[in-house]
Amino acid sequence: MKKTILTLFFSCFILTLYSQNKTIISDLDGLTLNIGETFTPNTYVSNSDGLKSNCSNIIYYNKKGVFSSATSISVDTENGSIKANDPGTHEVVAICIGEGGKRHSRTFEVFVNYPKIKKVTLKLDDNSTYIGNYIPLIYEITDELNVTRTIDYWSTDIASKYFSKVSFSIKALNDKINIDNSNNILAVKNGISTIEADFDGIKGSINVNVLKNPTSKIELVSNNENAKTGDVIQFKALAYDKKGKVIENIPVEFSFTGKSFDKSNTASGLILQDGRFVGDVAGKYVVSARIGNISASKVVNIFKRNVKREMNTVGTGLVNDKHTSDFWVFEGVDGNDYAVTGTWGADGTSYFWDVTEPSNIKKIDSVQVDARTVNDVKVSSDGKICVISREGASNRKNGIIIIDVSNPYDVSIISEYTKNLTGGVHNIFIYQNHVYALSNGERYYIINIEDPKNPYEVGMFEIGKEGQSIHDVWIENGIAYSSNWRDGVYLVDVGGGSVGGSPSNPVAFGNYSYDSGAHHATYPFKSKSTGKFYTVLGDEIFPKGVNASGPSETAGFLHFVDFTDLNNPKEVARYEVPSHGSHNYWIEDDVLYVAMYTGGVRVVDISGDLLGDLYKQDREIGYILPSSPNGYIPNDTMVWGAQLYKGHVFYSDFNTGIGAAKVDSIKPDNSKANKHLD
Amino acid sequence: MRFFLVVIFFCIQIQAQDYYVYVAAESDDTVSLIKFNETETKEVDRFEVGYLPTEIEGPHGITVDPNGKFWYLSLAHGNPFGKLIKYSTKNNKPIDQTTLGLFPASMQISSVTGLLYCVNFNLHGDMKPSSVSVVDPETMTEIKRIKIGTMPHGSRLSYDGLKQYSVSMMSSELYEIDAISLKVSRKLSLDNKMSMDASMNKKMKMDESMKKKMKMNEMSHSKVKPTWVIPHPSKNIAYVAGNGSNEIIEVDLKNWKITNRISTGKGPYNVEISPDGKFLVATLKSEGTTAIWDLKNDFKSKIIKNTTSVTHGIAISSDSKYAFVSVEGIGGEPGVVDVISLKKLEKISSVNIGKQAGGIAFWKIEN
Repeated sequence: MKKTILTLFFSCFILTLYSQNKTIISDLDGLTLNIGETFTPNTYVSNSDGLKSNCSNIIYYNKKGVFSSATSISVDTENGSIKANDPGTHEVVAICIGEGGKRHSRTFEVFVNYPKIKKVTLKLDDNSTYIGNYIPLIYEITDELNVTRTIDYWSTDIASKYFSKVSFSIKALNDKINIDNSNNILAVKNGISTIEADFDGIKGSINVNVLKNPTSKIELVSNNENAKTGDVIQFKALAYDKKGKVIENIPVEFSFTGKSFDKSNTASGLILQDGRFVGDVAGKYVVSARIGNISASKVVNIFKRNVKREMNTVGTGLVNDKHTSDFWVFEGVDGNDYAVTGTWGADGTSYFWDVTEPSNIKKIDSVQVDARTVNDVKVSSDGKICVISREGASNRKNGIIIIDVSNPYDVSIISEYTKNLTGGVHNIFIYQNHVYALSNGERYYIINIEDPKNPYEVGMFEIGKEGQSIHDVWIENGIAYSSNWRDGVYLVDVGGGSVGGSPSNPVAFGNYSYDSGAHHATYPFKSKSTGKFYTVLGDEIFPKGVNASGPSETAGFLHFVDFTDLNNPKEVARYEVPSHGSHNYWIEDDVLYVAMYTGGVRVVDISGDLLGDLYKQDREIGYILPSSPNGYIPNDTMVWGAQLYKGHVFYSDFNTGIGAAKVDSIKPDNSKANKHLD
Repeated sequence: MRFFLVVIFFCIQIQAQDYYVYVAAESDDTVSLIKFNETETKEVDRFEVGYLPTEIEGPHGITVDPNGKFWYLSLAHGNPFGKLIKYSTKNNKPIDQTTLGLFPASMQISSVTGLLYCVNFNLHGDMKPSSVSVVDPETMTEIKRIKIGTMPHGSRLSYDGLKQYSVSMMSSELYEIDAISLKVSRKLSLDNKMSMDASMNKKMKMDESMKKKMKMNEMSHSKVKPTWVIPHPSKNIAYVAGNGSNEIIEVDLKNWKITNRISTGKGPYNVEISPDGKFLVATLKSEGTTAIWDLKNDFKSKIIKNTTSVTHGIAISSDSKYAFVSVEGIGGEPGVVDVISLKKLEKISSVNIGKQAGGIAFWKIEN
């Protein structure tokens, strides 16, 4: 009995020893380094009794990982040292491998001193201003490592982060200028004043000449007083002096207030400092122009755009045993109308349809290839050749398949092409006897198919960056528009541009990217009504990833980028449907036909100048929400793409196959649905 | 009393156990949890993986950590980089993720460092050196990318957890990485240059320029095309699958040299050794079979036909009784997990899962 008790006691003692908490102790704790400094940490393991045990091996790493941001602290794994490269607080993890291979790890915060500020420069676009104007000051701060940060007047969000890390004060040296608690600078009295800013004891200053406002009157004119939502009104402010003479080049500040006609709604719009105004919501708006303490206003009425029309599905071709991907509608060599649809995550089948009668869509043939996904399908403009993409081929060669569709009732495979396309082809385009095929989501190859039995590669385009990524390519008028996720759209001359490009020598000549990095598709659009040239850039975003138990949420929108000046593209408008993300789309005659995934097919009036939030502007003509109780996922809308073809809006839907809809000329009749409304 | 104890002991011995395996379906973006009760195999659960519902992200490699609490999945396709996702074995929900290199594939966790070593296969890109990503699964941080050969595959650790091995398919090399210093410690060419040169010389007389050209071709296009390496659990030996040369290559790890080349059927792809060191199991991808060699019985072999074609991965139970083999299939065919008894040396059960069954990892045995 005594023996048993003793055994139990010793067992408990040993277990207690083992269960003691062990902590890594390191002089990394609370460490502060200067930029460029190297440090070799001393690290060991201690248990709760303070007993120290050495690590047989220690691995240090920067918690930001191996990407560029991780250069902030670099680690030499061979000699166990760290080096400070960037200022700020960084996390370094120490992994201690103790005796018997027991692993312990702990994260330490290491602070790297900011290099001291060496110089502060204050800048203004114009050192002269008028009484009553706010002064848009720009700060340029240069540190000891000659890194210069520029804090722009309009970047208060960025500035606030920096200002919180340094001691900052600003003052005016006389009473000509007032500075409020938020550091906004207002010119109040005539005369010269000096603004002085102090960053960590380093001062910078600038002289400002506050002028008496020469303006005695502003005349505010516009090209329209009664417009519709979404119409852009150009305002112009003419400043006159006391003698009634026009003052040239005087800066004007535009603003607006408004009240919606609908009392339950909020007036909304956008005004730019070049005087362009757009109203999103029908109502009465007061647009003002101000020069110092002189202002003028003008009232404009914004009426409903009134473009809504009846839109109804006229026919469907159900595919419900597998997901449907992209589609293409084309005129066959016999003059009838046909379509091809791909399938997704299935068995490599593509379907061919007779859509001559959109109300009677007939499945007429199919092709099955060694693939799991046929993501994209395209047909040549003469209706003879179809090209389909392959992903998930069993031999992992993927590539493209070229199909003879001169008789869509009896299509036949002509050839397979896999060179350089083994990583899977996600999207393709056919243009002038060439196939533009994406390869491995990194670049696209240009393949001559003049002899479709013997396709051959003639060119390749990639942006040439580490981590380059591409999702789609579209060609129009000899220009290839590639959608490169975070790197945005690239305009590439493949024969129609002005920089000497060709299919064998593609030359990039334009680029635009935006912050979200979700750029997935591009459609070039020359506005018939304004002559302006836009690229419409679509996002693809699944904010919550895959929802295994139901429909997945989608997000993202279409970015309208005015590319009229190729060297100075400007994002001017967006089309965003709340809670529904964008996918593929088509534009014809200033009308947008867009598949908004869970938001169905949307038809949008994009005539006129485009500015601001097009969805809010009530530009939507109509929409349908395709789904079927017999769908692959029943009653789940997930529209993949849309195409206007001979007056019908065709679409493919992930869960139901292909369909056709018609936008009628009549307005929707809601009289029965909304009896309580006038 | 003694009789009673014998009966209890006997009952325990004959009581069937449940074996659990995770397997990825690369063309369905799903992972299945498989349960085998020594008689039949069931798909207990199938869960969607990935982040983009309308893109195939290609779950390729899968591993369970040594304590069985988490499993890890590599997603081959991204923008453009693939991802590593950490899941809990409790509920199979994702916990954390990190971005790796191009086409991250097979991986394993060292029992010593606790770090995960994943090869970036870069299967479809340009023929250029790729890397092994080293990840701390605790913080899910990629802490280092170690440059190795072209198209690395088959990341496996020595049983002491101190060395990581992989093979580079297109440069035909075996790489050894020190799991602690995170540096390449040795590399070995797997090409059988001597025999190739000799046979070629016999067949044709080559001038120097032709020989030079041949050598250049050898450098860029390996004949061996190794796809997997497995170190022996108790001996200083590793076995490499020569996918292009249809052979298993035996490497003496102590002297770092090739000691044997064992001819196989077409396209050996993955290769594993039972924990007891008795059986070497290889998938013969191109012929849809699994080959088993008895390492303790003069390499006596058995070929077992798999349920469908394109045999892929192997996971062997910790008690060395069963090999679970994933079979991709073609097109719309379902993926399959075949269960092979290492005692009977025959396929005893199978179950369908998602399309293109690939990465497979053994989780646990339960009574």
